[in-house]
Amino acid sequence: MNSLNEPQSTGRYMTSKQMAWFRFRRNPSAVIGATIVISVILLAIFAPILSPSPQSAGSFVDFAHRHHPPSAVFWFGTDNVGRDIFSRVIFGYRISLSLVIGVLGFAVPFGVTLGLVAGYFGGRTEFVIMRFTDVMLAVPPLAMALAITAVLSPSLINAMIAITMLWWTWHTRLIFRIVKSQMSEDYVEAAKVAGASHAHIMFRELLPNCVSAISVKISLDAGFVILFGATLSFLGLGVHPPTPDLGTMVSTGSEYLPEFWWEALMPGLAILYAILGFNLLGDGLRDMMDVEV
Amino acid sequence: MMNPILDISGLNLSFTTYGKRTQVLHDVSLRVNKGERVALIGQSGSGKTVTMRAIIGTLPIPPAKIESGVIQFEGQDLLKMAKVDRNRLKGTGISIIMQDPLLSFNPVLTIGRQMDDIVRYADARLGNKQNSKIRKTTILDTLQKVRLPDGAQIYDSYPMMLSGGMRQRVLIAMALLNKPRLLIADEPGTALDVTTQKEILKLLNHLVKEENLSLLLITHNLGVVREISDRVCVMENGRIVETAIRRDIFERPGHAYTRKLMASVPPLYGDRVKDIENDRQGDPKIEITGLTKDFQRKAGLFLKKYSVVRAVDNVDLQIENGDIFGIAGESGSGKTTLAKMLLALHSPTNGQIKIDGRSIDSFSNSREFRRLIQIVYQNPGSSLNPKRTVAQALAVPLKFCGYKTVEMKSRTAELLDMVELPQSYASMYPHELSGGQKQRVAIARALSVNPKILVLDEPTSALDVLIQNTIIELLLRLRKELDLTYVFISHDLSLMRNFCNRVAIMFRGQICEQGETKEIFANPEHAYTRALLSSIPVISDQEEQQKPNVTDAERQAVLASSTALK
Repeated sequence: MNSLNEPQSTGRYMTSKQMAWFRFRRNPSAVIGATIVISVILLAIFAPILSPSPQSAGSFVDFAHRHHPPSAVFWFGTDNVGRDIFSRVIFGYRISLSLVIGVLGFAVPFGVTLGLVAGYFGGRTEFVIMRFTDVMLAVPPLAMALAITAVLSPSLINAMIAITMLWWTWHTRLIFRIVKSQMSEDYVEAAKVAGASHAHIMFRELLPNCVSAISVKISLDAGFVILFGATLSFLGLGVHPPTPDLGTMVSTGSEYLPEFWWEALMPGLAILYAILGFNLLGDGLRDMMDVEV
Repeated sequence: MMNPILDISGLNLSFTTYGKRTQVLHDVSLRVNKGERVALIGQSGSGKTVTMRAIIGTLPIPPAKIESGVIQFEGQDLLKMAKVDRNRLKGTGISIIMQDPLLSFNPVLTIGRQMDDIVRYADARLGNKQNSKIRKTTILDTLQKVRLPDGAQIYDSYPMMLSGGMRQRVLIAMALLNKPRLLIADEPGTALDVTTQKEILKLLNHLVKEENLSLLLITHNLGVVREISDRVCVMENGRIVETAIRRDIFERPGHAYTRKLMASVPPLYGDRVKDIENDRQGDPKIEITGLTKDFQRKAGLFLKKYSVVRAVDNVDLQIENGDIFGIAGESGSGKTTLAKMLLALHSPTNGQIKIDGRSIDSFSNSREFRRLIQIVYQNPGSSLNPKRTVAQALAVPLKFCGYKTVEMKSRTAELLDMVELPQSYASMYPHELSGGQKQRVAIARALSVNPKILVLDEPTSALDVLIQNTIIELLLRLRKELDLTYVFISHDLSLMRNFCNRVAIMFRGQICEQGETKEIFANPEHAYTRALLSSIPVISDQEEQQKPNVTDAERQAVLASSTALK
């Protein structure tokens, strides 16, 4: 069988998972990014255990230690009412990450599905979906957020809604482009000839070919969602005190600049750290999987 | 003793991927004398392209590593040369003709601009000073040399305005611009139709003589080698297994591998030709009458029609039960459109298709239709979804034809047996399989719901000849076992001679000739069929003599389209 020295492929000394791992290890930005992201996630999950002063996350007041500079006891210093900033930062990550999960949890499936439908059906469907996407892309995100929070009230959920309403557009555009290029591949036609349903072709044949691009995009997005969420709370449109949100903390801390610099700088650095992690991971994944986002 | 222009000796080269070192060239030695045409042949993956890239210095290092060896060009060792000196040889000492005339141009720059760049950068490297007028004269002269008479017009054209044959000529002109001494041709003309390929090979032969060049030809096509070489090196798995003058290679091949390669080339004429018979009751299976397909190009905001292209023009065909019916033709002749209409993927503008006496319009959306007719595509790399395993690929047609999950598993096992693949392959992804194995999976998928008709759209043209034969054998066996009727679409007439019992030749959307394979090949009547048959590169003098004689005037008459400006 398979005579005539056809190259046998059974010499798979590495499975595709092992190859992916190999490429991952060789990619410094992916490794550093992943380490940072994992540390942020762990800090958020175990915040009550890890924080030196869990009560600082609430409306705790300790006037004896207000405006305490960074020290061995208060790693990031304390704020205007004497709360430990480090504890508030790691509780703040919880808010940031739930924002990421909330926004991307809605925006990604919605955007991806629209992109798949537009790319697969083409014609009039494509025209309607993609032009609607273009219109939504033209709305300035901050104006949208202001409008939403003006109608509803400023809160975490409403900030989430505001961001989600515009975020899906990028996923639609990305997936649309990939699907359009995949449509000329014979496997799509082969599935049609085999009698496969539209849903099968979209979600079982085309979607797996978009997964690597989606995962890179999600990773890059996560950083920007955190940043955008922080911007909203900095402007007073997001989470309200005393809930420890990184943006709100920068905002309150900035009132005491430059004397008590750590109160704005430390939460700012915490935002930077998380975003840097997600972006490095995204860049690393992009190089590894060789996709364009 | 001849004077070698290129002398490679003891070249060992390895690649390191995923931390594992693989040696790809083993002690390769190769010599090209002044004025000589040397062909380097071998299957894909045998190392011939790596050898070429080592010569011109475009290997990525790492992962590639030259372990040992010498590449001498006119007595200088290229591997020890300073980078600046080596760059100076580019285009002036050694020049290369790219393989794909369709992909090797920048689509947004004129031909003239792209050629001018080549001269200008070579001047910069060599420190020459020429003004743009002199450069333009050189370019127009070179275009003249490659038999492109209307040089000035081509100079101002964009690549897409030229036909494939013309673009190949321009590529050759580009390689000649800086008067190289050694020309390397990587699969010249293989991306083109045979009739155009023939012209290109003729041109190369002329140029080598006229310009006093030496030629290193890299190809997998033995027919091409026979037309355009003095000496042949056969490469297998990174080793040169045989070197001999052309006549010896073709008449007395020494190495077993060379003999195997020879035997695997389907013969066009002679004793080795196999006649295929249809021994089944000849009921008409597919009847096509007056079939026409127009494509409308639309543009603008409101998608106004602006032109109509007739891809298939009034075709009548009758395919009988058990036939292997070949539809031959060059690219753009409408054969693939015809196949897509058979599968009801395109609806005809006019005419109708009946299968078993029923018009396919009446049931083309039903499961029954999908169970009747299936297709195997040309390129298994594209027809199998890279993200789905073999088992998943095989399950799709089963699922949508009403198989239950339990049945699907046993059917998958059965199918793998049928195409002679081990059961363990079910969990593999396409990238883990070789080209031939992928095509077997594609065949298994097409057969999964027990169709009666299989459309084969150039199923072997992406594969090496040795593997092509194993696939053809498989198809012949399956046809017998499963009572299949094949519609075989191809541009490879020598393969058709040995695989089809009846053929139809398509030319610009029309069927220009059809009948029993034997008769068509023995007495081709239509001028186009004759031109086509006479252009096929063959591997023996006997075959060459049995080809129909076609005068240049006749050939030009049918080929006018491929040489004129579009």
